[in-house]
Amino acid sequence: MILLGKVALGIVGTAVAGVGLLCSDGMVEVKVVERHPEVHHVYVIAPAMLVPIGMRFAPRRELSHAAAQIQPWMPTIRAALDQLRESDDVTLVEVQQPGEHVRVAKEGGSIVVDVEEKDETVHVSTPIRAISSTVEQLAASAPSI
Amino acid sequence: MRKQLCGIVMFCVLSAVATAPAALAGPGERYLHVKVEDATKGESVNVNVPLSMAEKILPTVNKGNLHNGHVSIGSAEMNDVDIRALLDAVRTAPDNEFVTVKEKDQDVRVAKSNGNIVIHVRDGAKGEKVDVTVPMKVVDALLSTAKDNELDVSAAIRALSDAGDALLITVEDASQHVRIWVDSKNGSE
Repeated sequence: MILLGKVALGIVGTAVAGVGLLCSDGMVEVKVVERHPEVHHVYVIAPAMLVPIGMRFAPRRELSHAAAQIQPWMPTIRAALDQLRESDDVTLVEVQQPGEHVRVAKEGGSIVVDVEEKDETVHVSTPIRAISSTVEQLAASAPSI
Repeated sequence: MRKQLCGIVMFCVLSAVATAPAALAGPGERYLHVKVEDATKGESVNVNVPLSMAEKILPTVNKGNLHNGHVSIGSAEMNDVDIRALLDAVRTAPDNEFVTVKEKDQDVRVAKSNGNIVIHVRDGAKGEKVDVTVPMKVVDALLSTAKDNELDVSAAIRALSDAGDALLITVEDASQHVRIWVDSKNGSE
């Protein structure tokens, strides 16, 4: 009986540690509401760690093309992400037009993009740490010269 | 007596804990704001950039005339006008009105006033107004590089973040309004 309890405790402990590890980079949140022609709600919340993991399954050729383009800008991207991580919450860009509102902000440890249109609302929140590790992985997949 | 002493000590500890984050936080972040409004189209664009971020990013950009936070100015681009000598002359001159041009519909004024370079342009025919105010400290920082054909933009941003709240540029015409300013608020309003 005690042995069974120990095994159960081990399983629960491993599961908790696994979930903790998976969520350690924060969560990516995507919310889409379509109002026309029919009302559709899409809500996805996933561990941000899955993004760089998912990158491993992307076609190598496409990745290396993107990597070659991004590589010269890596020092700039690194500096920007480091500073964003340290900075206070701020609305970086806000664009308003009749019937349209776009906002890009830093909130907590995430970059949040909100788009509001007459027929559609989109909200995407991505942890900066996840963006950083994804971009680093993308740059690393550049073909070596 | 003992209870009172304990109370005072507890109060001091709680006060210290409550005020510590503010004391440790140091000087607040400063932001460069750009706001473009088009009243006729009902459009507006706001951009808010932490100056510390701009200061760190600029040296990493090496493209065109911008490299390591410095901008190279070719003599051809300036029609052989020595921009450094010009800015240095303005920097060392006392407060004064340097240029005043008055035409039928146009009014241009360049002056140095209260530690700022001030440029006013009014175009009555087009209904345009341009006001530029640049703190002299920023001009000093721009000229702080050793090379003659370079301006130190990174140093200018550092100087801008050390300067107080400032309205740098406003451009107005019949429908559009552009404003660029620096303050410590993390939003445009």
